[in-house]
Amino acid sequence: MTPRRRRLLRAGEIALFLAPFGAFWVLFRLGPVLYGVVISLYRWDPLGEAQFAGARNYLALARDPRFWNALGNTLEFAALAIPLIVGVGLLLALFLFTHRGTRVAHWMEAGFFFPYLLTVSVVGLVWRWLLDPDFGIVLLVLRGWGLRPPVFLNEPRWAIPAIALATTWWLAGYRMVLFRAALEDIPEELYEAARIDGASGARIFVAIMLPLLKPAVLFALVLTTISGFIVFGQVLIMTAGGPGRASEVLALYLYRFGFEYLEMGQAAAVGVVLFAIILGLTLLAFRWLGLGTAL
Amino acid sequence: MRADRLLAGVVLAVMAGLLALWIAPIAWMFATGVKPAPEIFALPPRWIPQQPTLHHVQVVLTRWPFLRWMLNSLVVATATTVLSTLVAIPAAFAFARLQWRGRDALFLAFLSSMLIPLEVNVIPLYFLMNRLHLLNTYPAVFLPMIGMPIGIFLLRQFFLNIPTELDDAARVDGAGNVRILLHVIVPLARPALAALVIYMFTFAWNEFFWSMIALSSPQMFTLPIGLRALQGAYDIDYGILMAGAALAALPALVLFLFLQRSIIRGIAMTAHR
Repeated sequence: MTPRRRRLLRAGEIALFLAPFGAFWVLFRLGPVLYGVVISLYRWDPLGEAQFAGARNYLALARDPRFWNALGNTLEFAALAIPLIVGVGLLLALFLFTHRGTRVAHWMEAGFFFPYLLTVSVVGLVWRWLLDPDFGIVLLVLRGWGLRPPVFLNEPRWAIPAIALATTWWLAGYRMVLFRAALEDIPEELYEAARIDGASGARIFVAIMLPLLKPAVLFALVLTTISGFIVFGQVLIMTAGGPGRASEVLALYLYRFGFEYLEMGQAAAVGVVLFAIILGLTLLAFRWLGLGTAL
Repeated sequence: MRADRLLAGVVLAVMAGLLALWIAPIAWMFATGVKPAPEIFALPPRWIPQQPTLHHVQVVLTRWPFLRWMLNSLVVATATTVLSTLVAIPAAFAFARLQWRGRDALFLAFLSSMLIPLEVNVIPLYFLMNRLHLLNTYPAVFLPMIGMPIGIFLLRQFFLNIPTELDDAARVDGAGNVRILLHVIVPLARPALAALVIYMFTFAWNEFFWSMIALSSPQMFTLPIGLRALQGAYDIDYGILMAGAALAALPALVLFLFLQRSIIRGIAMTAHR
């Protein structure tokens, strides 16, 4: 066999290893991203006629107060849910780690993690029932304690925070598991050395655990930011964007314009905007926070 | 020392309270699902049903194609898991064990596409599936999930940690790359494969937004979409809604009770280097 022939054979073999995944990736992942940009530049008639519209869909978005409302709601959701999910996850992980090997930790891990395995419809329905304005047990219990709680899902100010709380219940356990795995990766000798030096628990946490946890925290932040910006199912089921449009988030706006008002071009433009936001935030995370080392 | 003990006790009590808060919604869901209607709205609320009934469960199972939804979810999740694992194995092998030009650039491209959620792509995917005449079929739901790069990412990390001497020894014995992959790497990578299977299955079983758009006839609905249809029909008949939600949660709960360790370990590996 000539060297040239051998090289070709080798390249062919590598291509074959990659081809099955590559085909799916190009057709159903990379392709749609580009296709989405194209769709967003057209006006799509429900009867199938497409007209080039240039930037008109984007201008329509920029002029639509409803879009800005949805963007604002999404940002509010992200601002509440991201720190809650990551923070609660971190706290739980620290507890599990400091109590590792005990029965308590075993049960805590199971209890806090389980909601993550539920589908978003179950999560949404359960929390809608828990927060029901008339018979929701959360309100009944709070009233039983003599408090006058807001009727969460029916009050514009409280709808998004209530959904953020339900989402924390759903997702914090997954972050807990990620953080615990990262904590277990920290070499035992580091703690021993610190203890010999007489470091306190708090000092060990700040000087050793936090810096070594940084990559995991950043990873969780990026992951949670993405799920924050595409929040959909919980909102649809718990409030359907209400009351009024107080909890209409970007993904719900996209859904309604695409599949209820059949403004496919404008909906695709929302998809592009969402993608740009996620890409932008991730690049910032890479740049400013040094996430490059975390991956 | 006494202060330390006290602090430890307080922490434990707080955590126990938090755990109770975490478990209560699930318990409340199951309780509501087996209560007769008057008890659901009884004041003060009762945790333990006085006269448990399967009436609402029966409504869900007989008036709705609930078992069909479960079967649909099973088909979609199994197809996603099997296919995404099968295509990820050789690709991860090429990235972890073979040297070639452009390898790292291509890996970076795959990796960064992990940041594109299915949700931002629903409109182009809808157009694409419409063109392929696949809307309202199983493939419409699972095809987009197969190209998720998480599998390559996870398996590559694991493959990288397998000693290269094993490949070399096999090569000396005359084995080609395919034989090395199938007989050396894959058997050793069982934990990573298990993790990938668990992750993809839960992901596909729970997928909501895209399935809701891709599926239109109730017979084709997956469980998450079917539950949403239940909500549309009964809006706030919580007995029926909670019976449906409880039935949907039951398989996850049973599996989790038996496989807690491996499920959590599997999920942890998806972000573990």
